[in-house]
Amino acid sequence: MGKPSSNPFKNLKWEKIRTLGSKYTYLISFIGLLTIATVINPLYFSYGNLSTLLLQASIKGIIALGMAMLIIAGMIDLSVGSIVALVSGLGVVVLNATGSPWITLAFCIVFGSLLGTVNGLLVTLGKIAPFIVTLATMSAYRSIIVQLGQGGPFNVDSEILPSFRMIAAGNVLGVPNLALIFIGIMIVVSVVMARTKFGRYVYAVGSNEQAARLTGINVNLIKTMCFTITGLLAGISAFLLMSRLTSITAPNAGSLFELDAIAGVAIGGIAMTGGRGVIAGSFFGALMVQMIEGILIASRIPPFLNGLVKGIIIIFTVLLQRKKTNNQ
Amino acid sequence: MILEMKNISKYFGPVKALDGVNFTVGEMEIHGLLGENGAGKSTLMNILGGALQPNEGQIFIDGQLIEEMTIHKSNALGIKFIHQELNLVNGLTVFENLFLGQEITNRVGLLDRKTMIARTREVLERLKLDIDPLEMVTNLEPSRKQLVEISRALMFESKLIIMDEPTTALTNNEIDILFNIMHSLKAHGLSIIFISHKMPELFAICEKYTVLRDGKFIESGYFKDIDEQKATNLLVGRSIVDNLQVKEDVRGQVVMQVSGLTCKSHFRDISFDLREGEVLAITGLHGDGRGELSEALFGARHVDAGTVTLRGKRLNLGDIRHVMRAGVGMVPRNRKERSIIKDMSILNNLSMAYFVAKHNKFFINKKEEDERFRRNQKITNIRVSNPEDDITSLSGGNQQKVIVSRWLELNSDIYILDNPTQGIDVGAKAEIYKMVVELSRGRKSLIIFTSEFPEIYKIADRCLVMYEGHINAELDREHLTEVNVMFYATGANKEGIIGKTI
Repeated sequence: MGKPSSNPFKNLKWEKIRTLGSKYTYLISFIGLLTIATVINPLYFSYGNLSTLLLQASIKGIIALGMAMLIIAGMIDLSVGSIVALVSGLGVVVLNATGSPWITLAFCIVFGSLLGTVNGLLVTLGKIAPFIVTLATMSAYRSIIVQLGQGGPFNVDSEILPSFRMIAAGNVLGVPNLALIFIGIMIVVSVVMARTKFGRYVYAVGSNEQAARLTGINVNLIKTMCFTITGLLAGISAFLLMSRLTSITAPNAGSLFELDAIAGVAIGGIAMTGGRGVIAGSFFGALMVQMIEGILIASRIPPFLNGLVKGIIIIFTVLLQRKKTNNQ
Repeated sequence: MILEMKNISKYFGPVKALDGVNFTVGEMEIHGLLGENGAGKSTLMNILGGALQPNEGQIFIDGQLIEEMTIHKSNALGIKFIHQELNLVNGLTVFENLFLGQEITNRVGLLDRKTMIARTREVLERLKLDIDPLEMVTNLEPSRKQLVEISRALMFESKLIIMDEPTTALTNNEIDILFNIMHSLKAHGLSIIFISHKMPELFAICEKYTVLRDGKFIESGYFKDIDEQKATNLLVGRSIVDNLQVKEDVRGQVVMQVSGLTCKSHFRDISFDLREGEVLAITGLHGDGRGELSEALFGARHVDAGTVTLRGKRLNLGDIRHVMRAGVGMVPRNRKERSIIKDMSILNNLSMAYFVAKHNKFFINKKEEDERFRRNQKITNIRVSNPEDDITSLSGGNQQKVIVSRWLELNSDIYILDNPTQGIDVGAKAEIYKMVVELSRGRKSLIIFTSEFPEIYKIADRCLVMYEGHINAELDREHLTEVNVMFYATGANKEGIIGKTI
């Protein structure tokens, strides 16, 4: 009869490529999307364009990093956009009162963390589903800042404005500050998730909460911390948004950020059921969400259809993920 | 109704669940069906209920051959199956549950609540139950839910009722009510098949018995002709214990003292000592509260009363991490639900408990992880190609070895193993036994929760037998026989006629 296997080494190689492929799906789709964009517009693949892409994706992307952590832990946060609005609105007040960007940054970080912690405590101590809690706080946080901002937008005072806006508009050796901050935070969150025991616990809780508890993991603490960190990242995002816009309109600021963050996480290959995926995935996912917006504009599709496309993308990637797990 | 099941065989793949079983129930008869876990009782009843098709054999009802029994046909013949687990919808009222799927409607197709409530009230009154038909099921005590479940079977015309361990959730008072109901049903011409593990109940309510063992028919007869001891012997048969050398006794001083541990509705007043190097088995039958006890000892379940001390120091049972650091490790039952973190690698699964109790550095060091894995691989003999693979790529036995290693890494003084050989093959079982013996030789103490007698016999120094949430007997090696274990696990020493213990 025939030989059992023509070349075992060849099989081994394929096996390796396949596992590598499934590990770096997000990179493959990123390169794929980049190719499509370049085909549509041959000038797309340029340094200027890519650094603009990073810059544009950064403010929402920072939130996607926290969202990735929450989704890996088997949860979700719909209130991130409202946290951004509330923190940035009050952040402008703090900035105008103190004139110090550092105090303002500290305020944004602390206040964002606090709002996230409230979400976390309602989920863990209140034993309410994350979806419900953050749907409620999404409405509540936004409502507070809209009420406070009745007299119009929160504007950064003109004497601080020129220096303050340079935080988001500036660059280091030609690399936009926002891009650097985004990459920096991505690296920190990645290392925490991949190389510390806290990161392992987050994966464990999202994969099998009961087993995690019986291994001695403090599940409630881990869950609350995920919300706190997401709130913290939303606070940083709010600070950067203030610098970028210098004027915060309460009803619109950070609006639909949660959608972009979740879409980024989904495209980034992170399992919507929890327990699987890497932070770098949500980084590239956030870039891809931004690219898709660009592609839609370039191909003259009305911008009103942005939401439709993102909605379809989320459903489509989740279906793809399900197919993958079913095949296993 | 006269039921005859003749020469019934059922195979699940290569496994013979039933092998030529004969089972006969006469008119107006309460018939006790006995057998250990896995003896084939449920399979036989599922065939009667039409949920499973037999490979061989025939079913006669009132002398008529029934071809191709289906759930629908069985229902139409008046056979009602009251399952062990509750099949009620908590969000509906009592009467809505009773009529679920068989609602009475009026001419325009709307629900006829009035008639349904009246009919429900009738049935509940007949059963002397003071349950309001309009009460939400979720507000009922578990035992009352069980009674609602039973009344559902009586709602519609039935001739034969199968009761699968109906008393597990009931209080003594309610058991009396149930037995009265059964007597009156019998007086109305019904037959009842009563499945139970509890000897006092079987002797109290049933006239005839049939014993199954390993899928085979063993014996049928009248309860008045036998006693509890005889029944236990029939259940167990001559147990074949393979001659693996029995574990040597290396017991030292007492390390752990459990006293008066109580968790309402699961177990009460549990007290025992555990000595250094001792392997203590705790066994019993379904519903004995053993699983809950194992969780409580590890601090994973709230207790209402009682203390556990470790070398004189009291354990804080409200905090798993405290219990772990004090020197107790636990391999839980149901590996898939309680141990395995399915999205993680073999390596990470193994290290998890270490991270919680002992890891103090900020970063995780890949090299240390690899070393930890290799060290444990040698001890527990985990067979694996790449430790970075998902844990789900391993066989059940190898998965369990990873979980055992997870806890060995903590170097605890006491290990609680809850059903450690569940769903793993013979070879892996033997390796786990070997490990238990080696741990005990290394002055570790082990508490093993299991229902498999051969396992107890191979590794235990002492065995506690639980019955209805308390320790019914303590057996040392001298008295450790399968018959004895079964005798106490079925509560055969309780009430009624008491057979002599060996």
